Amino acid sequence: MTSVAERVDRLERQWAERPGVLGWLTTTDHKRVGLLYFWTTLVFFGAGGVEALIMRSQLIQPNNDLVGPETFDQLFTVHGMTMIFWFIIPMTTGAFGNYLVPLMIGARDMAFPRMNALSFWIFLASGIFLYIGLFSGFGPDAGWFNYVPLADRLHDPSRNIEFYTLGLAFNSIASTLTAANLIVTILKLRAPGMSFNRMPLFCFAFLAASFGLIFALPSLSVDLIFLFLQRNLGFHFFDVAHGGSSFLWQHLFWFFGHPEVYILIVPAFGIATEIIPAFTRRKMIAFPLVAIAELLVVFIGFGVWAHHMFATGLPTTTLVFFAGATSMVVIPSTIQVFAWCMSIYAGRPKFKTPLLFIIGFIVMFVAGGLTGIMFLAIPFDQQTTDTYFVVAHFHYIIFGAAVFPIFGGMYYWFPKVTGKLYFERPGQISFWIIFAGTNLLFFPMHIVGLLGMPRRVYTYPGDMGWTSYNVIESIGGYITAVGILALFTNLVVSYFRGAPAGPDPWHGPTLEWSVPSPPPEYNFAVIPTVSSAYANWDADDRERDGHRLTAGVGTLERGHEQHVSSLIDGWTSEIVDMPHSSPWPIALALALSLLFAMLVITHYLFAAIFAVVIALTLLGWHGKEPQES
Amino acid sequence: MSDVVAVDTRARERFPLGVWGIAMLIATEAALFAMMVGSYFYLRFKNAQWPPAGTPEPKVVVPLVLLGVLMLTAFPMWKAASSATPRRWLLLALVVQSGYFAMEVSDFRDDLRHFTPQQHAYGSIYYTLLGADHGHVAVGLLLDAWLLWKLLFGMTEFRRKAIRAIALYWYAVIVLTIVVTLTVTSPAFAR
Amino acid sequence: MLGGSVVGLGLIVAILVAAWFKRGVEGADRPGTITVIALGIVTPILVLAALFAYSDIFLIRGTSPPAAAAATNDLDVRVIGHQFWWEVRYPGSGVVTANEIHIPVRTHVIVSVHSDDVIHSFWVPQLNRKIDVFPDQVNRVELYADKPGRYRGQCAEFCGLQHAHMGFYVFADPPAEFAKWLRAQARPAKRFNALFDDKCSSCHAIQGTPAHSHVGPDLTHVGSRTSLAALTIPNTPAHLAEWLRNPQQVKPGSLMPDLNLTSSQVRRLTRYLESLK
Repeated sequence: MTSVAERVDRLERQWAERPGVLGWLTTTDHKRVGLLYFWTTLVFFGAGGVEALIMRSQLIQPNNDLVGPETFDQLFTVHGMTMIFWFIIPMTTGAFGNYLVPLMIGARDMAFPRMNALSFWIFLASGIFLYIGLFSGFGPDAGWFNYVPLADRLHDPSRNIEFYTLGLAFNSIASTLTAANLIVTILKLRAPGMSFNRMPLFCFAFLAASFGLIFALPSLSVDLIFLFLQRNLGFHFFDVAHGGSSFLWQHLFWFFGHPEVYILIVPAFGIATEIIPAFTRRKMIAFPLVAIAELLVVFIGFGVWAHHMFATGLPTTTLVFFAGATSMVVIPSTIQVFAWCMSIYAGRPKFKTPLLFIIGFIVMFVAGGLTGIMFLAIPFDQQTTDTYFVVAHFHYIIFGAAVFPIFGGMYYWFPKVTGKLYFERPGQISFWIIFAGTNLLFFPMHIVGLLGMPRRVYTYPGDMGWTSYNVIESIGGYITAVGILALFTNLVVSYFRGAPAGPDPWHGPTLEWSVPSPPPEYNFAVIPTVSSAYANWDADDRERDGHRLTAGVGTLERGHEQHVSSLIDGWTSEIVDMPHSSPWPIALALALSLLFAMLVITHYLFAAIFAVVIALTLLGWHGKEPQES
Repeated sequence: MSDVVAVDTRARERFPLGVWGIAMLIATEAALFAMMVGSYFYLRFKNAQWPPAGTPEPKVVVPLVLLGVLMLTAFPMWKAASSATPRRWLLLALVVQSGYFAMEVSDFRDDLRHFTPQQHAYGSIYYTLLGADHGHVAVGLLLDAWLLWKLLFGMTEFRRKAIRAIALYWYAVIVLTIVVTLTVTSPAFAR
Repeated sequence: MLGGSVVGLGLIVAILVAAWFKRGVEGADRPGTITVIALGIVTPILVLAALFAYSDIFLIRGTSPPAAAAATNDLDVRVIGHQFWWEVRYPGSGVVTANEIHIPVRTHVIVSVHSDDVIHSFWVPQLNRKIDVFPDQVNRVELYADKPGRYRGQCAEFCGLQHAHMGFYVFADPPAEFAKWLRAQARPAKRFNALFDDKCSSCHAIQGTPAHSHVGPDLTHVGSRTSLAALTIPNTPAHLAEWLRNPQQVKPGSLMPDLNLTSSQVRRLTRYLESLK
């Protein structure tokens, strides 16, 4: 009779990674990939933050000359690109999604572990690619939205825009792979008994955001391909002199760009919908409404893109249609806001750091959402678009609705990932500093925008009455930076000096709290059975799992085994053998990097050669077949 | 050592994970082509004359006949995915698909003699759409060839799943080619 | 809208603050769900419908782009956006100027905008909404000033290095004064300057002289303008001299090149240009 210890030992040996750096380079473990994403996105967050601080330092005084217009234009462009594509999306989907989704659904890894690793290495390479552009003086400089004709060859002759088109295209491959992986994982790898309606709300959110990425990113890709062809091979898509249209760039861009902003915040909603039950010690109010709302907000979000184009001179009927659609997309958000608030009200809240960040998130999201609603009044939009009022709106939304939950999530899952508890007092202090700093930074932007200050200006005249607001904003920026440094200092010190956390310090609702902290490579010694959306609160089920472990039922120890279930009901449909530890992902990412490098210097022959190398790498990747069951 | 979780008889195992993966690829590529086709029509309605003066109208008969031939290859791909002797069906599919591809390349080069993508947005979107579509056809040919090579070493569960996944890919490429062909020949229909 | 937003945000904050004070007693699901539906679905639908109806059916009539100037007492002004200045034309009288628009007060002025290069946006906040300026098509916006005065406008779509310095003035004058201004602007310059013709005429026009190029702003009456380089610097001899000496220092990235003029040439050109009132 095999004992539990022997089973666990067998699993440990099966799932052990190669030691050292080689183990990290060839890892396919979703937790390691998640951590790689986590640290890398933090570096890009820092870069984006530094870019912001330099801009705020330039704008602290009128007619300042800290940086000139060329540098400033690259700063605001790369700041926007970095924060969206190299921080928020990879931090939510790549770090939180990869690390937590398999744990929450009772799986041992993502559906495609090697593709997961590939997405990370591609993401890293794309960031290096972009920043090589910036540091060599060829940073994109036409705004993150890169309108033509400004971005076409005539008006932006140097390589800057190639770093834009190719950098984003490169990055979007990583996001697409991650999204595809999350969708298949969430749909097919859930634990037995985890039917669709028993999935944690976090999974609904990540499913919605992933579908958003799958269907929205291609619109951007088409725009980028068209622009690359126009700039480098003489094609005509956007120039009216040859039958093209400047509007085409905008339509394609915003068809991607609007769903993108929901993709940014919906995963963060998912984080909030896990922290709230844990810290209010009750289930989420109106769970089905919240789940549907998370899916609906992305879906409806595909129909509103032209509200970014209200000032372009499109026909009034068109504008009114889009304003109407935009008012519809508000409803799923208001449903969620009130569900969160009522859950906090109806529960027994513990106002610890994670919940504080969620409360800060709710307040800032509502503030940003209210200014968003103002924009559906077309005449109002036509006054305030392209001013600092918009900058205020979207920073309240992005910083408030995406970054605050990310910070809250870092504190919430810190014990699970590190096995240590963080220091609570410094955590709360870091929250208040960041909350104060961000409000000081972004609130005055509403006012200065209403006073007429346009966006994307490297300086402004001293006699417009804008100066004092800019000073306050810049000071707010510095305070925010201090708060963020305090947050990370706390986490680092807690990592080294924190008390041991144990598996479940919060009595959290979801399955990741049922395994040790940090989780073993194989996550679950026995595949759990689930009968509600709050699986870790179902003591009977968890006790039954203990018996199953002793009896050796569902331990899946014969290889790198993973349970696959049916789509709707979570019935066991097969057991599959997963890949484990492979050099092919990093090899393929390297080959792709070389392809993009050749494209940015327009050496098409070498690019074609690397395309062949990529094909050969894919052959090698699929050379070894999984074991038959 | 009964560590196996019993398969639930209520679960109908329909698609292997690899097929789901290809489905995700198809979803994202479908969105890509939807935006390109949308761009075609957007540009078309922005231009009073389409094709512009001096550019010949698109051919209709040859592209539609070739399209029909490609559509027929769905049958051998389906047989390959479901029969016990897939190799002969894959080979048949590959031969016909390659013939189709060669004819398309020849037509493409012939078109280039009459108008280029550098002349006007019509040419740009025409060649981009056709080029992207047939890039996907070319990848399909490579996938067929890879399958045939793998099957030289015998059949395994993995290879059976791979045939199903690649058959699905081909169905999608065929649908894509229908859409793209109808799009680029549309000026000849709507007068 | 501000009032509504304050109420909305206040409500959320109130719920959260109440949660702080209430903690300890667990509440039931049903009243919570009812509140979510009432406040999260029903109330927003009503508020949004009202906002939509008021702004996008009623208010929008005043801000929609007008048709081309129809009635005879409307004024037609053409504006062409360039990197980084505004070309202004009055079709009726043939007047061409730059970065300054004069309009008669209490008159419907239809401004037709078009771009020569990239997308700009024409915006006079105090008079109306902004309208983007495209190379693809002509857009229109109505300006109606009910009081005389000077209204500041600026480019509101990022258009390159000197987007920040692409402003313009709209002067709303009493009708008689406007007519006088227009007549003065239509007169050609009285003096010719050989140095100008040599150094500047490849880009700038002065009516009444052989200089006819419209690559850069028309300078026929530059002496009468309030500012230079699209509101970058005030129009004084000292500032003009500095501009001529080193335009890339004043407005780096503008399309006016450094001409390496000597001090004497700068002095002579400044005197000439300031005399063109």
